Amino acid sequence: MAIFTARNRHGGLKRYYDVNGWLFIGPALVLIAIFLLYPIVQSLTLSVYSGRGMMMKFTGFGNLVRIYNDPIFWKALTNTITFFIIQVPIMIVLALIIANALNNPKLRFSGLFRTAIFLPCVSSLVAYSILFKSMFSVDGIVNRTLIGLGVMDQPINWLTDPFWAKVLVITAITWRWTGYNMIFYLAALQNIDRSIDEAARIDGVPSWGRFFYLTVPMLKPVILFTTITSTIGTLQLFDEVYSLTEGKGGPSNATLTLSLYIYNLTFRFMPNFGYAATISYVIVVLVALLSFLQFYAVRERR
Amino acid sequence: MDRLPLKTWTLRAAWVGASLMAAAPAFAGEITIWCWDPNFNVAIMREAGERYTKAHPGTTFNIVDFAKADVEQKLQTGLASGTGNALPDIVLIEDYGAQKYLQSFPGAFAPMTKKIDYSGFAPYKVQLMTLEGETYGVPFDSGVTGLFYRRDYLEQAGFKPADLENITWDRYIEIGKAVEAKTGKKMTTEDLNDGGMTRIIMQSGGKWYFNDDGELDVTGNAALKGALDTQAKMVKAGIVKPATGWNDFVKGFTSGDVASVVTGVWITGTIKAQAAQAGKWGVAPTPRLDMAGATNASNLGGSSWYVLAKSKEKDEAINFLGAIYGKDIDFYQKILADRGAVGSLTAARSGAVYQQSDAFFGGEQVWQRFADWLAKVPPVNYGIFTNELDNAVTANLQALIAGKPVDAVLKDIEEQAKTQIQ
Repeated sequence: MAIFTARNRHGGLKRYYDVNGWLFIGPALVLIAIFLLYPIVQSLTLSVYSGRGMMMKFTGFGNLVRIYNDPIFWKALTNTITFFIIQVPIMIVLALIIANALNNPKLRFSGLFRTAIFLPCVSSLVAYSILFKSMFSVDGIVNRTLIGLGVMDQPINWLTDPFWAKVLVITAITWRWTGYNMIFYLAALQNIDRSIDEAARIDGVPSWGRFFYLTVPMLKPVILFTTITSTIGTLQLFDEVYSLTEGKGGPSNATLTLSLYIYNLTFRFMPNFGYAATISYVIVVLVALLSFLQFYAVRERR
Repeated sequence: MDRLPLKTWTLRAAWVGASLMAAAPAFAGEITIWCWDPNFNVAIMREAGERYTKAHPGTTFNIVDFAKADVEQKLQTGLASGTGNALPDIVLIEDYGAQKYLQSFPGAFAPMTKKIDYSGFAPYKVQLMTLEGETYGVPFDSGVTGLFYRRDYLEQAGFKPADLENITWDRYIEIGKAVEAKTGKKMTTEDLNDGGMTRIIMQSGGKWYFNDDGELDVTGNAALKGALDTQAKMVKAGIVKPATGWNDFVKGFTSGDVASVVTGVWITGTIKAQAAQAGKWGVAPTPRLDMAGATNASNLGGSSWYVLAKSKEKDEAINFLGAIYGKDIDFYQKILADRGAVGSLTAARSGAVYQQSDAFFGGEQVWQRFADWLAKVPPVNYGIFTNELDNAVTANLQALIAGKPVDAVLKDIEEQAKTQIQ
């Protein structure tokens, strides 16, 4: 009898906490359901339809077959992966080196440098793209400077040559996002006890050794985090290429990214919302796959 | 002074209110309009609005100025969402995209077959706004093209205006080489990522990306082949200053960097905005391809006004378009003189302004010339996939310039286009 009451009372308490708990997270859940879950499910439904504008017909796996046969999709995918493979490592290494240099207590004006390097990432995406476009135009300041310095005799057609256009996009996003990643490293570095570094120094470990064998391993969780966010960011690359190429991804589709292709399919070409939704799911799968691989690569080995 | 009983006041107020209410549904709304180009469409719409408010003081206009790509994006998003709130009452749509919108968003635009007299408009415009016997929107401007050139540069190189009359593209390239040798200026500027030039040359040859049945016409299309060949030749001859994007393209000829440009008549306003260059410009017919059926006339762009079916001020908007764009001849004279807008209302073509000479263009009767060329523009079927084909062409143009044979390039374009148009 006594046990029964206790159990009963316990159950009531549990229900009391359950109800209140659900009430507290209820508003958030409703918002998530409306603005996150519904669009996700809706776009999944869309991806089995195809057609012109509002004239959609059920097509089943038709969109996947179309993706397989679509050379522009493969071109966009190759471009996106090229950007990601070249740009993310460059940016991560650069951010690590800069963060390490700025963390040096002997460095003067470190606040000034930190602000200067972080500043690009608070600038507007579109504004800086437009600025880059004018700086890198055929008779822009970059070509004139390089010719003036005697680095080359002919101006580079940054925006009309397929190779240099890719270089320009990589330069632009590296400029924009290096400072952002650097801030994470700086914050993490300040949490590392200086005595560890000092002890290694007293033991005669050279500075490159301290960087590679002490600092980098201790930054591993942060490096993982920045790599994954940068990977996602690069896979979703849109604003920069849109502004630099007036939405076309030119020259010769050399800077067309998956996101830009989705945009074109929805807004510039004959609108095919179903096909565009299918391609957006390709990005989702890619991001999931790459994030898993990165987690797997840096897992704790025991 | 007034000591009327309260009851009289109430009655008067009620009467005034009732009469306002009665007039309200027809002529007291705000018409929201989306369009692009502040020097052209926006300015012209302001003029039209002012004229309409003189007769209908209750009507107000909210003309929103966007970039063209933004108008299209917002329109497409709004149409897809299915709500009318996000959309304007009137929207400007470029002719190349008209059928795309009409076919893919059925019921989104207000049919106006019974409300507007279309017999006064150029038939090709009405045709591209008609779907299954029903006509939508009111035709607006034509994009008849011309060769705009700098008299001073050409003269310096030893060419008279008569030397530019009805020339072929090969002759144009020769002249371009001479101009660069003598003046150091490039003959023209082009954004190779834009399909505009391909479309101009192709239409002057009487062809489009599609045949009359709307089927893809690429590998056997002599005019398209000529258009690609011509552009590759121009680039190889070194007479083109490469442009990156529209603003850079416009800067090329407004800043005096290049000697000429071939584009639509609607650029006149932009060229004339450079007051310091008055008298230095001239206009000649569009160069033609050296092939049978090619003409010295073509078209680039041109657009029309459409009323959204879900618009709250639908009737008022249709009434406005009909009153101004449908029959106001004086309005067409004014926008032609001020903005270089060649309207597609045929009755407006006999007006006095068409006979006027323009001091900016060295005293030439430019408008009469454009009107003459307009009559010669070969009619083509724009189809519904022009943007897709533009993309396929610009993606392969670089390979042609790099030396790939033109037939192989056409084959590549067709392959890419096939997967895109479904």
